[in-house]
Amino acid sequence: MGVRKLSRKDYLNALEAIFFIDFLKGLSVTLRNLLRRPITTEYPKEKLTPPKRFRGAHGHFVWDGTEPDSLKAIEKFMSFEKGKSRCVACYMCQTACPMPTLFRIEAVQLPDGRKKVTRFDMNLLNCLFCGLCVDACPVGCLTMTDLFELAGYSRREEVLNMERLEAFGIDFKRRRGDEPDRIWPDDSEREKLWGKIEWSG
Amino acid sequence: MWVDLLITLGKIVVLLGVALGVGAYLTWFERKLAGHIQARLGPTVVGPFGLLQPLADGIKLLTKESIIPRGADVPVYYLAVVLALAPAILLFAVIPFGPGFEVFGREIKPIIADVNIGLLLIFAMGSLLVYGTIFSGWASNSKYAFIGSLRKAAVIIAYEVVLGFTVLGVVLLAGTLSTVGIVQAQIERGVWFVFYQPVAFILYLFCMLAESGRVPFDIQEAEAELVTGYHVEYGGMRFGAFPLAEWYLNVMALSAIAVVIFFGGWSGPNILGPLSPYFWFLAKMFGLVFFVLWLHWTLPRFQAKDVTEIAWKIMLPLALANLVITAVVVYLVGGE
Repeated sequence: MGVRKLSRKDYLNALEAIFFIDFLKGLSVTLRNLLRRPITTEYPKEKLTPPKRFRGAHGHFVWDGTEPDSLKAIEKFMSFEKGKSRCVACYMCQTACPMPTLFRIEAVQLPDGRKKVTRFDMNLLNCLFCGLCVDACPVGCLTMTDLFELAGYSRREEVLNMERLEAFGIDFKRRRGDEPDRIWPDDSEREKLWGKIEWSG
Repeated sequence: MWVDLLITLGKIVVLLGVALGVGAYLTWFERKLAGHIQARLGPTVVGPFGLLQPLADGIKLLTKESIIPRGADVPVYYLAVVLALAPAILLFAVIPFGPGFEVFGREIKPIIADVNIGLLLIFAMGSLLVYGTIFSGWASNSKYAFIGSLRKAAVIIAYEVVLGFTVLGVVLLAGTLSTVGIVQAQIERGVWFVFYQPVAFILYLFCMLAESGRVPFDIQEAEAELVTGYHVEYGGMRFGAFPLAEWYLNVMALSAIAVVIFFGGWSGPNILGPLSPYFWFLAKMFGLVFFVLWLHWTLPRFQAKDVTEIAWKIMLPLALANLVITAVVVYLVGGE
């Protein structure tokens, strides 16, 4: 980057200096902004809705009859209940996670040979919300919701257990399940941003 | 005799209440204005449209602990508050808000002191303002405060000179130093002096910005360099008194004086019956106040050396030339 040379046009000429043209230009800018609508979001009173793929608190999608058939095939190996988490305790999320102490997952084998997930704790104090665990989940169970108000009064509150994860997942699916799973609202919106994209798959 | 004193006392009480109240509410107005200029909202929480914000600020300032810095010159430290506030309020004493009227056969003029040296008094009070600044900076025993006060002193001394010479042109035209006389001179001619003295008006506007420490001449505040300038070591309501005096009362008083000198005081078409002179005076005055606030949130700040340079090298010669030309023209045409 070189040094920009100023030409004579970049300075005010005598007439402009006498009539304070630069002042008037500045004043017109502030006046236009004064008449504009403020862009403030008054946060506690009004909240913006994040895009659907916003990386907020985690959630578990539950076993509610909307699963793909491939998932129904493993039902005989897993002790699933209606309205409970789809998790199969494969530890893929824990493997993908950059933080070694974030997940605490435990599972037992029932007398009939099936597997039951007994504990799935996520310590959000360790979480950096990268979303790798979501990508790693082979059964489409772990997800990230649009909840972002995660402050609490104790460290214990920041650990999400199975019940809260299921509740978050149910709530997220009820509110936003029908939206397309994109960061843009629709395809025309995407094309405006990125142009036409031919999908290979 | 006693009735006259009582009437004057009443006028003082009314004026003091109105000036301080409006001064406090100008803080709300300025915050709203600044917010909307920056596409924000300004205060919204306390009361409808944040209208009770000045009250909340006042309560907060009054209940705060006021700490006196170690090594401070305590009597001067307290005296500075008085010296900052008193001249700003006294400026209002010679401002005529409307024509005189009669109540029970006694003429009442809406001006506290109808003296024939009104303008001289204004300059005296304006020069006294510098004492509050210097004292507060000196007594605080703080480098920031002292640098701020020295800068303000340099600005006031420079611009007080220019201010005097700009206003002398109007004095030549009107032939009187009395504020009421100047307004009446304009009403008799039917022309505001701003049309006779446009250069003087612009110079006056700049001097007004400099005197009241407004952008682009607010080098004594200079938040980025000096925290907040000469009152940085004050706490509680004493801290609030300085901006109230300097930024609000002073701006209002100088706007009112500008209206008297250049905009024909209370003259204007009769639209509200007996109240219309007051309406016109206040409308013009708050138009100017609005302009000053608007300018504040538009312009950046001059460098400290530029401010005094502009005063001595550009504005003083311009003011002198304006004065000389006015004097020659008045002499040839025959003033009146």
